[in-house]
Amino acid sequence: MKKIAIGAMATCLVGGLLTACGGNDTTDNAASGASGSAPASGSEVETIRVLSSDDFAGFRESAIAEFNAKYPNIKVELEHVAYDQLHDKELASFNASGNAAYDVVDVDEIWTSEYANAGFILPVTDRYTDEMKKGILPASLQIASLDNEIYGVPMFNDVVFFYYNQEMLQKAGYDHPPATWDEFTEMSKALQEKKVTAGAASAWGFSANEGLVAYFAEFLGSHGGSFFNEAGEPTFNDEKGVQALQYMKDSLDNGTIDKASINYNDRQVLDAFKNGKTAFVAGWSFYWGELNAADSKVKDKIRVGLVPAVDGAPHTAATGSMYLAITPQSKHEEAAWKFIEFLGSKEMQKKQSLEAGALPIWKDLYSDADLQANYGALTDMAKQLESVISRPSLDGYNEFSKALQIDIQAALTGKESAKAALDDAAAQAKELIANG
Amino acid sequence: MIRKLKPAAFLLPSFIVILGVILFPLAYALFISFINLTKNVHKLDNPKLWDYVGFENFGKVLGDDAFWQALGRTFYFTFTSVGLEFIIGMAFALILNEKFKGRGFVRGFMLIPWAFPTIVNAVLWKWLYDADHGTITMLLDWIGLTDGPVNLLGSSFSAMNAIIVADVWKNTAFVSLILLAAMQSLPKEAYEAGMIDGASAVRRFFSITLPLLSPAILVALVMRTMEAFKVFDIIYIMTGGGPAGGTQVLSFLTYQSSMMFGKFSYGSALAFVMSFFIVIFAFIYIKIFYKRAD
Repeated sequence: MKKIAIGAMATCLVGGLLTACGGNDTTDNAASGASGSAPASGSEVETIRVLSSDDFAGFRESAIAEFNAKYPNIKVELEHVAYDQLHDKELASFNASGNAAYDVVDVDEIWTSEYANAGFILPVTDRYTDEMKKGILPASLQIASLDNEIYGVPMFNDVVFFYYNQEMLQKAGYDHPPATWDEFTEMSKALQEKKVTAGAASAWGFSANEGLVAYFAEFLGSHGGSFFNEAGEPTFNDEKGVQALQYMKDSLDNGTIDKASINYNDRQVLDAFKNGKTAFVAGWSFYWGELNAADSKVKDKIRVGLVPAVDGAPHTAATGSMYLAITPQSKHEEAAWKFIEFLGSKEMQKKQSLEAGALPIWKDLYSDADLQANYGALTDMAKQLESVISRPSLDGYNEFSKALQIDIQAALTGKESAKAALDDAAAQAKELIANG
Repeated sequence: MIRKLKPAAFLLPSFIVILGVILFPLAYALFISFINLTKNVHKLDNPKLWDYVGFENFGKVLGDDAFWQALGRTFYFTFTSVGLEFIIGMAFALILNEKFKGRGFVRGFMLIPWAFPTIVNAVLWKWLYDADHGTITMLLDWIGLTDGPVNLLGSSFSAMNAIIVADVWKNTAFVSLILLAAMQSLPKEAYEAGMIDGASAVRRFFSITLPLLSPAILVALVMRTMEAFKVFDIIYIMTGGGPAGGTQVLSFLTYQSSMMFGKFSYGSALAFVMSFFIVIFAFIYIKIFYKRAD
């Protein structure tokens, strides 16, 4: 008797494993990232699984509580991972079903082409109301669009902003942020010489991650360069691109910026700035919330300036907005849409700006009195949004990006000249585009 | 009849487990490497869409410069780290095999690095090497080996060697442990006879200890070589394959192809090519050491 029981147990175990891979519904899942507002009894409760980046996860968790108050029959399970792991986890999940699949995923603008063309995310154009189509910033809609279809609801409007520590600059005798890269170099030296900063005045995220490409985009644009021309040919290896990369390398070599930058990503550089060790940092909009949080040593001392530029070039910042999209694996499309529509609503967007420092997607929120009163950087940030550069949205974007990261690092570490490195990346980009 | 079937019935559950978690995934991966599966995953649902490409993916792997470069780096990593681990591990084992005060404590202490999860080890060494605050960076500067703090993870060559040091620090204990265990069971008579014949300590080591240890050395080397050849996590954490791709080893390339770029078939083919090398290693080791043991 005992034997049979054990055998049966083993079979169940294996059977369980197999069905878990085979794809059944997930309504029985107990763990929840949401705070538990009890679902109304008697009616069907739908569970949607959401995969999000860490960056605004705190706000999203509190938003889920509000969502539940409005829609008690929809349970939201929020899972969040570090941005650098997000794409790979999503790519694996699109292949899976059951508990490994998600109803809603967080999509970076640079993945739109890849995801939409492979059918990983569903178009939601028909679900958009006229109010949304008219009220949301065209630039925000643009990031979630491909070939006349919209693939999700943008969650914030983001670029790599140039933050500076006003108090430190004043100590070094400056009453304004650097307007040009030459001035940036000069101020960085002065800050160090006057011992306002113990080491280099800024650290950048130049490790082999996506953030490196965003930073390169920033230098590229502010040196007057661009990634591709109208005909879709690479232009980032022209004279301006080479100048931009050369400036990055020289700054590393002459101590203008921290030489450990080559090991940091675009999240790690925030820590040094938040603890008052560095005077400048270039980073995403969520930095603002972190920098003004209760545990920040630089609370209320931070301002947002325009990204420095060489003479005559625009003060461009690299865009990096994200949106939530619904996957075709979802069996609860309606519920999933309600959730992302709710997070994208004017009300929640305003709250997100106030609490987490994200820039809203709705045009008229930029003139909202509450936001302007509570959000010191809003005007400065809106000014920066007028001048931006985007990373190219290619089908094989990740391969392009990895190749570019390797080549940029080859130049930064002195293995290759800036020109040779960018030529190499451009050749690979051409090949990638040619092979579809 | 029932008597004959009974053992089979007992084996069935474990066979199902093995089938489910080893054989099926393996066969599945092999299958994927022979079709052309890219991001359009829905292909798998429909057998009509499986376009069978034969060995094309394997051909692509072998024709790819990135593969040969990664193979070179993997060989460098494997032989340097396993070599160092073996030499240092043998020295440790010899010392710990002698009687001295506090031996038990030292033996236990030696195992601590090995007890660390690789991830913890990687994060720890990443901080030790940090260009601004790293202990090792400061130490090298202080004793004058470097001119000012140097970023050890900042260039391809030094980053690879820095990772090897971290790996050796962790895995030497494993080699020592296996060798030490084997040394303790060596026959005392052989050493006594050697001493009577006037063999020196060095001679006794090479003529008695080493040959008798062959089976243990085989185990240690095979296991460490296989593991080192598959190295991934420590590199993923410490450098992410950078700087400038200088620490991209085969596992990293495989991960990148399948999980980042969505080229699942190419990634599978790459993984099988890698397994092929590992099998070759195991085969060579067994050939060398079993011959000596005979």
